[in-house]
Amino acid sequence: MDVLDLARTQFAVTGSLHFLFVVLTLGLAPLVAITHTRYALTGRPLHERRTRFWGQIYVINYALGIFTGLVMEFQFGLSWSGLSHYAGDVFGAPLAIETLGAFFLESTFLGLWIFGWHRLPKWLHVACIWLVTLTAYASALWIMAANSFLQNPAGAVERGGRLVLTDFGALLTNPALAMSLPHVIGAALWAGGFVMMGASAYHLFRRTADREFFTGSLRFGVIVASVGSLVTVGFGYAQFGMLGQYQPGKFNTEPLAGVGLGLMILIGQTLQLLLAFVLLPTVYWLPRWRWAQPLLMAMTPLPFVATICGWLAREVGRQPWLINKKLTVADAMSPGLTPGMVTVSLIGFAGVLGLLAVIDYLLIARAVRRGPSSVALGAPGPADPAERAPALSL
Amino acid sequence: MDILWLGVLALLLIGYFALEGFDIGLGLLLPVLGRTPRDRDRIVAAMAPFVLANEVWLVAVAGVLFGAFPAAEGEALFGLYPLVVSLLLSWIVRDAGLWFRRRLDGPAWRAAWDWAIFAGSAGLALSWGMALAAMAGGLSGPAVGLPGLGAGLLMAAAFAFHGWTFASWRLPDGPTGARRTGGALLASACVAAAPAAAVAAASAPWLLERAAPAGTLGVLSVIILPFTPLMVGAQVWVWRAFGPRSAAERMPSFF
Repeated sequence: MDVLDLARTQFAVTGSLHFLFVVLTLGLAPLVAITHTRYALTGRPLHERRTRFWGQIYVINYALGIFTGLVMEFQFGLSWSGLSHYAGDVFGAPLAIETLGAFFLESTFLGLWIFGWHRLPKWLHVACIWLVTLTAYASALWIMAANSFLQNPAGAVERGGRLVLTDFGALLTNPALAMSLPHVIGAALWAGGFVMMGASAYHLFRRTADREFFTGSLRFGVIVASVGSLVTVGFGYAQFGMLGQYQPGKFNTEPLAGVGLGLMILIGQTLQLLLAFVLLPTVYWLPRWRWAQPLLMAMTPLPFVATICGWLAREVGRQPWLINKKLTVADAMSPGLTPGMVTVSLIGFAGVLGLLAVIDYLLIARAVRRGPSSVALGAPGPADPAERAPALSL
Repeated sequence: MDILWLGVLALLLIGYFALEGFDIGLGLLLPVLGRTPRDRDRIVAAMAPFVLANEVWLVAVAGVLFGAFPAAEGEALFGLYPLVVSLLLSWIVRDAGLWFRRRLDGPAWRAAWDWAIFAGSAGLALSWGMALAAMAGGLSGPAVGLPGLGAGLLMAAAFAFHGWTFASWRLPDGPTGARRTGGALLASACVAAAPAAAVAAASAPWLLERAAPAGTLGVLSVIILPFTPLMVGAQVWVWRAFGPRSAAERMPSFF
């Protein structure tokens, strides 16, 4: 592989890992926020246990979203300084707004939510998880706006060999953004719903003590996944019309983009029909159907496979352009970047993030398996932490 | 307008060193102050509620650099390539230690991640010292070298001092065996942030030459400035909620 292939591989590996975790973060955040709100409204212990159990899954998953996101943010300057040189005056704006106006707040409020159990006033604590959710979706908006600019560089003109921002509104009304943002948000809810369905099905199948807990969660998961799936598929097809305006023939030139698109549609369409015509109409009885539970568990990874395929289609289908018809990937690469530099950083990032991703998924699986009675998040404790130390760890 | 954004960038960078500095410092001191598992739990629990609110200042630095000084972003990050990579890997390893150490039972699991916290914090301190030294030298020399290593050790000492002061403030007569006031913590924050402040001041003309055009900066100002009170308020809330009078050890910690 030459240096360009190495740098592209590094971006693809870290970007795909990032989205695997971010999609679940986006999908679970509103579900945890809704559950926490129900707890605050009713004071029922069942809702508290649900908030802490699903909240812990959400938080363990969140860790890898941060780790991979850090590499994503700094990678633009490391490998693709040609992008900031040529288009930083335009492309940098949504990224700067995302870090300051969204992620800065998200991280701060997430810390308050995680460590604020039994410390913050009830409704302020609930407000924290809603602010985390809101800012996470604001992040999605700005990141998708930045990505859509790469798909279709609206709102900018070239002056003196660099792009200049002429119309900021055009970044937000970009046809490449209008249909893809709801598509991605729908996919996140779809994935979040599937994780809730799969984990609940596991406990119902194992006949653990928390029957009421997971019966409700399974139904909630099916409803959320149905809504998310419908939105994803609807706005997925809606993108084709717009796509003809700015990237006609996107999926005909690069085989990988076509394969990604095909597999995504196969998974997305099949599951949408299954949800709409089987799982949603039977949602009341579904938790009692023992034969269905292994199937629900087995389906859990499918939305994740589909979302990665979707990103491959969107990104690979634009080759060789980094900014469509303006800047090629080769021209965007940092001048002076050597194969040795990228090889070392690629091994470092892929090795460390890959290992941590595997550990994180094993920890999520373990947290699901151990169930709601051994959740560390928000665990109440006596005055002396030493007394509880063995019990409070997950 | 470019002066305003230079101020924002400098403030975020100084804020990162003043705040995240004590987390890195406590990570460095973990094998020294935390000789028993229980002491290590107490030290990690003392910094845990602050970490997410502290480390995000550097994410904001990178964002502002990209949005307001795009030409500088590429030059600086690419010029420091090996240091940025080691900084990111160290940061990830440190954070993984924090997030994962309590996720499984057993002393070996927790001890292993405590070493990850130490190794990551050491990597962060050394990378920062070398990066600041390279930036002070105008990115002309090699990014990694003997003078840089000296700067890295000095940076580690400053972070460790700040971390020690923070532990003595949040856990009076705790693992450090000392108690420090908020004023002392402010002073140690200045020590931790001084090198970065000096480099930021020295780089000001270089940065201003690379500022985005007024149109871009205007858009950033209109969209970001309304969020400033919420950002400041959230940070202040963290300190009010988790200060030394919040009965730091009453609750089991998630990290």
